[in-house]
Amino acid sequence: MLPMQAARLFFVTGKGGVGKTTVAAALGQYAAESGRRTLIIETAADGRLAHLFGHRVLDATPRRLRAGLDAVRVDGRQLLEEYFSRILRFRILSERLLSSHTFSALTAAAPGITEFLLLEKLLGWIEPGLLMRRRGYDVIIVDGPASGHALKLLHTPRALATMVPGGPLGTAARRLLALLGDHDRTQVLLVSLPEEMSVRETVETYHILADDLALNVTRPVVNRVFPRHFSAAEAHAIEQRARQQGTAVKPILTAACFNIAYRREAERHVAHLRRALGLSPILQRQLFTPKVHPADLEILGRMLGRALLEEQRPQTRNQRPETRNQRPETRDQKPETRNQRPETETNRP
Amino acid sequence: MTGIDHLLRKRLVICVGAGGVGKTTTSAALALAGALRGRRTGVITVDPARRLKDALGLDGLSSEPHQVRVNTACFDALALDAKRTFDALIERFAPTPAVAARIQANRLYQEVSKELAGSAEYMAMEKLHELLHTRRYQMLVVDTPPGAHANELLAAPKRLMNLLASRAASLLQSPAALLGGASSSLSSFALSTLLKALQRWTGIDLLRDLTDFAAGFEPMMEGFVSRAGDVQRLLRAPSTAFVLVTTNDPHTIETAIEFHHELRAGGFPVAGIIANRVFTFPQLPEDSADVAAWDEPLRGRLLRNYRELHQLAERDREALRKLHSETKAPLLAAIPAVTVAPTTLDGLERFARLL
Repeated sequence: MLPMQAARLFFVTGKGGVGKTTVAAALGQYAAESGRRTLIIETAADGRLAHLFGHRVLDATPRRLRAGLDAVRVDGRQLLEEYFSRILRFRILSERLLSSHTFSALTAAAPGITEFLLLEKLLGWIEPGLLMRRRGYDVIIVDGPASGHALKLLHTPRALATMVPGGPLGTAARRLLALLGDHDRTQVLLVSLPEEMSVRETVETYHILADDLALNVTRPVVNRVFPRHFSAAEAHAIEQRARQQGTAVKPILTAACFNIAYRREAERHVAHLRRALGLSPILQRQLFTPKVHPADLEILGRMLGRALLEEQRPQTRNQRPETRNQRPETRDQKPETRNQRPETETNRP
Repeated sequence: MTGIDHLLRKRLVICVGAGGVGKTTTSAALALAGALRGRRTGVITVDPARRLKDALGLDGLSSEPHQVRVNTACFDALALDAKRTFDALIERFAPTPAVAARIQANRLYQEVSKELAGSAEYMAMEKLHELLHTRRYQMLVVDTPPGAHANELLAAPKRLMNLLASRAASLLQSPAALLGGASSSLSSFALSTLLKALQRWTGIDLLRDLTDFAAGFEPMMEGFVSRAGDVQRLLRAPSTAFVLVTTNDPHTIETAIEFHHELRAGGFPVAGIIANRVFTFPQLPEDSADVAAWDEPLRGRLLRNYRELHQLAERDREALRKLHSETKAPLLAAIPAVTVAPTTLDGLERFARLL
C-alpha cells in the first residue's frame, strides 16, 4: 500500500458578506478539476454554496457536486444534539433538553463545546484513520463562519488542550492543534473588501491568527476591486474635463470619475493591507452581473489554485521565529519567498 | 411631509441591517438630520470605523455621550463598549462593591459579558434605557451591532436574563424544572449526567461558578428584569421606528427582507428602508454627443466603464424592487454611491442633507 498523502486543509474566513463562499467554491472547483479529491465544508446554513453549483441543499453527509468535488454542511446545534444523545443514550431526553432554554445556558456554561464538536467532525474527514476503506480527500476547504466566530473556533483546540490535558478529549484537542498548527497542511485564507473597515478587520484577524495562534495565514483575497480602465494621464484628463464642466458634467464623465476614484481608493486600501501583512493580496475584480457566472468562478479558482495549490512551498515556513522583535524582518521577506509573481487580477481589459 | 420627516419626529429610531451596509454612518446622519431640524438628538453607535470615530470625537471608548458640533447643528454621540457597560451596570446595581467585584471575577460572568452572543445587543438596550430615562433627548438613534437576525437582536436581552437568573439558579436547586415540567427522576438523572460530561470542558468548578454567579446576581435580578420589560414595551411603542438599512448587494437585501419579516412578526414598528451606495447610471443614448467628444481607444473604455456601472445600477434597481415588493416598506431615502465613505463631519452633513 502506498503511503497516504496527507490532506491539505484550507480555512476560509472574513467579515460577513465579503464573498467567502465564492472563494471557497472557486478554490474547490479548481482543486477538483486538477484531479484532487476535494471536500468543501459549509458552516453557514444559507445554502449558498450548493446554489453556486446548481444544487438545492446540503446535509450532514457529503454530497457529490461534480466529479471529484463533494460538499457537506455542519451545523453546531445538530452536532451538539448528537453529542448529547450519545451521552444520554436516550434521544428523547436530549431532544427535550435542547428544546428548552437550557441550550444556551449549557453552551455558555461549557464554552467551546460546539466549536470543538465541529472541529472533531473535521478531523474525521481529514484523518479518516487506517480502518477507513475509501480513500480520503486530498483537499478540504472550510467555508468558515465570519471572522469573529472563526477566531473563537480556531482558538478552541488550544484552550481545550490546556484545560483538559488527558483523556480522549485532550487527545483529540492535541491532534487538532497539531493539524491546524502544521503550516504545510493547514492554511487560513482571509477574504476582504478594498474598504477601510474590511481591511482593518482583516489586519486585526491576521495578527491574532498568525501571531497569537501561530497559524499559517496565506495571501488574503480582496474581492470586488473595480477594474482599472484608465491610465494616470487619462484619469487626469478626465477629471480635469469633469471639473471644467462643473454641475453640467456629462454622465459618461461622472461614471469615469467614479471608476477612477473608486479604483484609487481601493488601491490605497490594498496597499495598506499589503504593507500591514507583508503579503501580496490576490485581487478579484468586481463582477457586474447579478449572479456569479461559472466562468467567473473558474477564473478566480485558477488564480487561487495557482497561488495556493501549485506554488512551490518554501521549506522555511515552519521556522518562523518565536520572538516578536525578529518578526518584521521575516515578514518583509515573505512576499519573495512565497510567491515571485506579481499579484494577479482576473479579466483585466 | 416626507417619510424622513415623519421618521425624524420619532422619539426612538433603531437602525437594523446586515454588517457593512453603513448602519453606523446612517445612524449618525439621522441624528444630525434631526438636529438640523432643530431637535435635541443623540446617537448610540457600535464599533464605528476609525475615521468616523475620530470625526465624531469618539476616541478612547467612552460610553458617555459626547457633543458633536457640525457647523450650526449639534448632536450627542457615544460609542458603546458592551463589556464596559456591563461592568458599569454591575458596579451601579450591586448591593456592595465587594459583591460587584466578586461577580466581575467570576469566570462565567467574563464569558457572558464579552463572549456570549447577545451581550452587545443587551447592553445597547440597557444604555438606551438609561439615556431615555434622563429625558435629555427628543430623538435617540440606535445603531445596532451587526447581528444576522432581528430576532437574535431583540431576543438577546431575554435570553441573557434566562441565563443570568432563574435558569442558572434553578439548574442547581431543581434540575428537572428546566425540562419544562418534566419533573421525573429520569430527567434529573439526564441533567446530572450531562453536567458531569460538561464539566470535562469546564474543569471542576462548573457548579461552584454557577452557584456564585447566580447568588451574586440574585439581588439585582428584579431591576434587570424590570428594565428589560420597559425596553421591550418601548421598542413596540408608537413613538419608536425601526429603519432597515441596506445596500444593493443581493446578500444584504436578503438580510433586510429577513429582518423585516422578523420585526413584523414581533410587532415592532418598521418605518421604512434607507438604501445606501445606490448607483444611478441610466441607459446611455446611442448618439450621445459627450461620447463622440472622445477619441478611440479611450472612447471604447469610457463606454465599457459606463456599461459596467449601468449594469450595477440595474442590479440595484432590481434588488430594491424585490425588497419593496417583499416588504411593502416605503423607501425613505436612496443614498447615491460615493467613492469614499463619509468619514468627516462635512461628509456626514452632506449625507444628512440627502435625507
